[in-house]
Amino acid sequence: MNLSQKLQRAQADTRRQFFAQAGLGLGAIALSSLLNQESQAAKPNWQIPAKAKNIIYLHMAGSPSQLELFDHKPTLSRLHNTECPKEYLEGKRFAFIRGVPKMLGSQAQFKQHGESGQWVSNHLPNLSKVIDDLCVIRTVHTEQFNHSPAQLFMHTGNSLLGYPAMGSWVTYGLGSENENLPGFVVLSSGGKTPSAGKSLWGSGFLPTVYQGVQCRTDGGDPILFLSNPDGMSRAGRRKTIDAIADLNRYQHQHIGDPETLTRIAQYELSFRMQMFVPEVMDIGKESKETLELYGAQPGYVSEAESAADPRRLYKGNDPTFANNCLLARRLVENGVRFVQLYDWGWDHHGSSPGESIDETLPIKCQQTERAIAGLITDLKQRGLFDETLIVWGGEFGRTPMMQNNVNKDLKKGFVGRDHHPHAFTMWMAGGGIRGGAYGQTDDIGYYIAENPVSVRDLQATILHQIGIDPHKFSFPYQGLQQRLIGPTEEGRVLKEILA
Amino acid sequence: MIALTMLALTGWLVVAQGEEKISFNQHVRPILAKHCFACHGFDEQAREGDLQLDDRAAAIDAGAIMPGAPEQSELIARVVTDDADSIMPPADSGDALTTQEIEILRRWIREGAGYQQHWAFHPSRRPSTSQAGANQSPHAIDWFVNERLKAAGLTANEPADRITQLRRVSLDLTGLPPTEKQIQAYLADDSEKAYERLVDELLASDAYGEHWARPWLDLARYADTKGYEKDRPRIIWRYRDWVIDALNQDMPFDQFTIEQLAGDLLADPTPDQILATAFHRNTMENDEGGTDDEEFRVAAVKDRVDTTIQVWMGLTMGCAKCHSHKYDPISQQDYYRLYAFFNQTEDADRQQPIVPTPTKQQQQQQQSLETELQTLQAELQRLPEGYTEAWQSWKKQFDDQPLWVALKGPQLESEQQLTLEQDAEGVLHVQQELPEKDTWSLTLALPADQEVTALRLETLPKPKSTKWQDPNVVINELQAELITPDGQSQRLKLVRPRADFSQRNWEVPKAIDGDPKTGWAFSPNAAKPHAAIFDFEKAIKPTAGSQLRLKIVQQYGIGLVLRDFKVSVSSYASDWLLAEIHPQANLKRLFQRTVYEPTIKLHQRIESTRKQITALNQSIPKTPIMRELPETRRRETKIHVRGNFLDRGDVVSGAIPSAFGTLPAEAPQNRLGVAQWLVSPKNPLTARVAVNRVWAQLFGIGLVETEEDFGTQGTLPSHPKLLDWLAVEFRDNGWSQKQLLKTIVLSDTYRQSAVTSAAKIAADPRNRLYSRGPRFRLSAEEVRDQALAVSGLLTERLGGPSVMPPQPDGVWKSTYSGEQWRNATDDNRYRRGLYTYKKRTSPYPAMLTFDAGSGEVCQIRRIRTNTPLQALVTLNDTVYLEAAGALAKHMQAAGETPREQIAHGFSRVLIRPAQAIELDRLLMVYEQFADLYKDQPEQAKRFLKSAGLEDGDPRLVAVANVLLNLDETLTKP
Repeated sequence: MNLSQKLQRAQADTRRQFFAQAGLGLGAIALSSLLNQESQAAKPNWQIPAKAKNIIYLHMAGSPSQLELFDHKPTLSRLHNTECPKEYLEGKRFAFIRGVPKMLGSQAQFKQHGESGQWVSNHLPNLSKVIDDLCVIRTVHTEQFNHSPAQLFMHTGNSLLGYPAMGSWVTYGLGSENENLPGFVVLSSGGKTPSAGKSLWGSGFLPTVYQGVQCRTDGGDPILFLSNPDGMSRAGRRKTIDAIADLNRYQHQHIGDPETLTRIAQYELSFRMQMFVPEVMDIGKESKETLELYGAQPGYVSEAESAADPRRLYKGNDPTFANNCLLARRLVENGVRFVQLYDWGWDHHGSSPGESIDETLPIKCQQTERAIAGLITDLKQRGLFDETLIVWGGEFGRTPMMQNNVNKDLKKGFVGRDHHPHAFTMWMAGGGIRGGAYGQTDDIGYYIAENPVSVRDLQATILHQIGIDPHKFSFPYQGLQQRLIGPTEEGRVLKEILA
Repeated sequence: MIALTMLALTGWLVVAQGEEKISFNQHVRPILAKHCFACHGFDEQAREGDLQLDDRAAAIDAGAIMPGAPEQSELIARVVTDDADSIMPPADSGDALTTQEIEILRRWIREGAGYQQHWAFHPSRRPSTSQAGANQSPHAIDWFVNERLKAAGLTANEPADRITQLRRVSLDLTGLPPTEKQIQAYLADDSEKAYERLVDELLASDAYGEHWARPWLDLARYADTKGYEKDRPRIIWRYRDWVIDALNQDMPFDQFTIEQLAGDLLADPTPDQILATAFHRNTMENDEGGTDDEEFRVAAVKDRVDTTIQVWMGLTMGCAKCHSHKYDPISQQDYYRLYAFFNQTEDADRQQPIVPTPTKQQQQQQQSLETELQTLQAELQRLPEGYTEAWQSWKKQFDDQPLWVALKGPQLESEQQLTLEQDAEGVLHVQQELPEKDTWSLTLALPADQEVTALRLETLPKPKSTKWQDPNVVINELQAELITPDGQSQRLKLVRPRADFSQRNWEVPKAIDGDPKTGWAFSPNAAKPHAAIFDFEKAIKPTAGSQLRLKIVQQYGIGLVLRDFKVSVSSYASDWLLAEIHPQANLKRLFQRTVYEPTIKLHQRIESTRKQITALNQSIPKTPIMRELPETRRRETKIHVRGNFLDRGDVVSGAIPSAFGTLPAEAPQNRLGVAQWLVSPKNPLTARVAVNRVWAQLFGIGLVETEEDFGTQGTLPSHPKLLDWLAVEFRDNGWSQKQLLKTIVLSDTYRQSAVTSAAKIAADPRNRLYSRGPRFRLSAEEVRDQALAVSGLLTERLGGPSVMPPQPDGVWKSTYSGEQWRNATDDNRYRRGLYTYKKRTSPYPAMLTFDAGSGEVCQIRRIRTNTPLQALVTLNDTVYLEAAGALAKHMQAAGETPREQIAHGFSRVLIRPAQAIELDRLLMVYEQFADLYKDQPEQAKRFLKSAGLEDGDPRLVAVANVLLNLDETLTKP
């Protein structure tokens, strides 16, 4: 026996001795039984059969123009460069448009695609190929026309800060399927967090355990504080966690507080997360074909992610969003309930460089649309498409008029549209949603002509698909049974788009 | 009836056994609130079938209730019917009454269907403590607690051991473990009074205010940024320091209330009372481009209404923004009437109004500088002896030789063919309408036989011109030449330019910088005369016939050309020549400042004092405060239909919610009136809510668990009599929070051991009956502060701007804001958690993980969680590693053997000495790391570096890391 072995044996003896003295049996506590799973003794009244197990929500922060992507408006093109009729301006509040703006025809070419014959623009060549899987809703409307409140409204059901995110609601209701991973994960790209910041994945009045965990892909720890400090090996960490656990057990034996046992379990879980999270987050494990499908590049850290103004660095080949899409698949595959992607840089006002409809929007499409098409294809190949609900959209849409506060006339690289809450496009796919278009806007895409869909309807539908009755699912706070869909009954499940 | 006895719920059991009359508040109201009030309650809009069950007369009128006759009461008929169309609650609501609930309703009606006002709306009365004799404890709190324990068949624990009590009470009162000195003093004194003395000392420490400010700042939604998209910084830390200070002074809670809600409306308010009103300026502001200020002003005012009612009355008014409260007697009209009081302040989603809010130190500095200035000025007024003589004799010289002599004999060469006339005063007047621009060569005669040292150009305000709007002048370039009598010219260099006034970016040196694009100008003060002075680099000695030629370039355009002006020269020394408009009239000033020694010194000191005052004033933080609009600009308040601020309904005037009466006629009808009413004996809630909050801080859960809701939807108090007793004590003892805390922490209930057993957990799982001492995880700030304190790193400094301790790179990525997080490298790295910079959209991650809020809205309580992410923070975050490193250093120095060293570390962290078995286990880790690092010195070194150490014992660092992560460490004992 060498010295090290002797030492180990001596240590083993000490530990045995510790347990003997402490009156504890080794492994006396089944850790798994203590884990943070909500024990659902009785089926709650809001639970309904689920169509989807997981949700991947792709939010294009800043809000893409529906008129250059999905909502084909030949009439608007005919009116291009004419003055906007007064009826669209009177009594309206805009963020930036002043006076009488000009109409702006689509800056993209549209064609019909797939068996459903949906109109899709030339900015989305890959997505066009899977268009039959998408339920494109052209008639979403919202109550807010500034980014931060509109994003909050979309994700928390309230335009003020302090309410739980959809992902928090879902994990609060359904828990996570993988005890080694958080149930609600957030990934971001585009170089900035969205306007409303981390409040978009905050847990509001729900316990903080349900807040979204932001996994970072810009070179640092994927989860904050996940890595051991430099010089602390995994073996060393094992020893410290064992020591903490042993001493805690001893403490528990004397005090008897059940929280101590939970803490032991949580330290153990943190140790497992240290191994498991980097593994899941490592897209380098994917095949070449898969990487190619998404356009992903393992280990790529974009310059835009640490730039003060990333918009100037937008190039079509930045794979950050593609990497996040691939990660999203790996996360849902591993039981993460709600994966939220934010891609920043879609606020195309045309008032400063790097935010135009004519130059920036095509780049943002190039950065994202192949990866999204890849995600759909990949999920289908793996048989995960039907149990994964994908949602795509911004926080509102963009005006059929040109934004005029900086440039009165069309200028290359400065063509822009203002915020438009009255009608815009979002789409859903998978998770029990049928393919095909839904809803119709008027000839210039200003108002909804038929089948309006409110943000509340979307929220209700999303909860419904994941197995939650949106009307009954609530949490008592501030004297109300608080719900994601708000206090009134205006939100409804969009039965027409269910498969 | 048998089924009823299965209910172990307190109160219900008693009912089931039929010993007591049914209590409306305890038994009936919860059933009606849960199943009926949503449609048959206070909200007239939502009311169905014109039936109101929250009002006895209305319910009897409608036939729903026939007192004494349950079977004739429609209420009972409808809840027991088999008819799916008429059953209540409606079949499709998925809600149905249980047989127990129906039985309670039956019995209640049979017993007369008495209604009671909601418990919390009754004024609190001091409950009888006449059963004292039956109790052992001398402490009222313990009587009430023991009464309930006895009823549940439980007994309280023995007192915790002395060290446990020491650590517990120290953490609870100061948020920090006891200091070495406190430990020594406490342990050395084994008298009965030792604990009380300790409590007094803790309450008197500065750390007390810092610790108790934290929950208050959660309520105040305090943060260092404004929120929403831009989330720009807001300087409001002076308010945070005001709270700390008020708590440390034990400001009575009624005063604490009035100053924060309406300090500005007090008669002759002090600066501190104004500062206190920043409480309601912690609301968010939206700086996002294109947002409507009115929309977010309204949101802020609503937040103030909601927060006020939440914080002081424990009621939720939020829902009454859109419709009348379904459960509590608060109508939508009530909401907007209270809103009307708060709708009268100046602020409108902008930073204004802000006021300078000097710190105590700055106030002292201000005062001493002002005093100094006054003393100096008084001294100057008195004038030293001999001054008058000196002044008279000095002044004489100007009779012969004035300070400035206007030059005569102008000859103008103008590109635009202008001509000049000179008047008796020597002023030159352009004779034509001014051109757009011009360049002049102006020649003037110099006085002979006198040394000439400087040139003065003086301009007079222009008369109104029909052609040119702007009365300004731009001198792009000014050059001077000496023309000798024989016609030779000699360029004169101009130096030391100075002017009485210069326009921003058009300072006078630019008139002689050789660049014709720049120049001297004086907008926006062009309506006044101005003067510029230039020294000649070398004094000139003109002879008879010498002339001065000036080239004056005025090429700006739009007619900014000289019109009426004067050119003078001087023979005096440069430092006598001040750029003043009336130099001759200010000779006295010149004399005092540049000639007469005794006053020169005084003036210099005055000047330097003024400079210091200016610098000090600039360094004083400006804090947003509340300010009432003047009478003439008061806003009219209308109800917002369905909460939409654009959809205005009826006009309302200010009033308190009608269920609580009205403000007394003599009370001010504004925020001050509201604040005074909140703390008046008429208000049944404020004292209860306040003591409940304090109780919850100490025991983990309030006597009313829903600290935020004392309304009918909230939970009933676990110990109603205790709650009222505490509330009355608090109010009658001058609203002293320190006294209240002392009362509680001296009780046996508080001091008992936290040891529990399976039986106790089964009978009292959440310790709502206080069958054991309070034991729960420390708050986010305490976890941090304790680690810093026990490792000796803590920087103990009270107040000041918020600080940025290390956080991982890249956490801050805010839209469009150039703000950056810069890790502090000075002692601000180790300040208490309270001082950590709080950015609303990106709060400090380590704190957030431990349930701290983001300061977005009023946070009444933090829901405690226990997660793996917390383990990662205390295991791996820089601050905890540096604390482990520093702790290891102390351990190393404190003993010879590893065992001694570890024992020292253990007791530093946990205050109590380690047991042998615990030391054995820690030594084992020590040995394990010895083994791990044996052949890996590099790795050991890197680990030390991670812990902020250059050298040291990495094994002890590992042990310290374990110590800082023990459940016992993270938990109040």
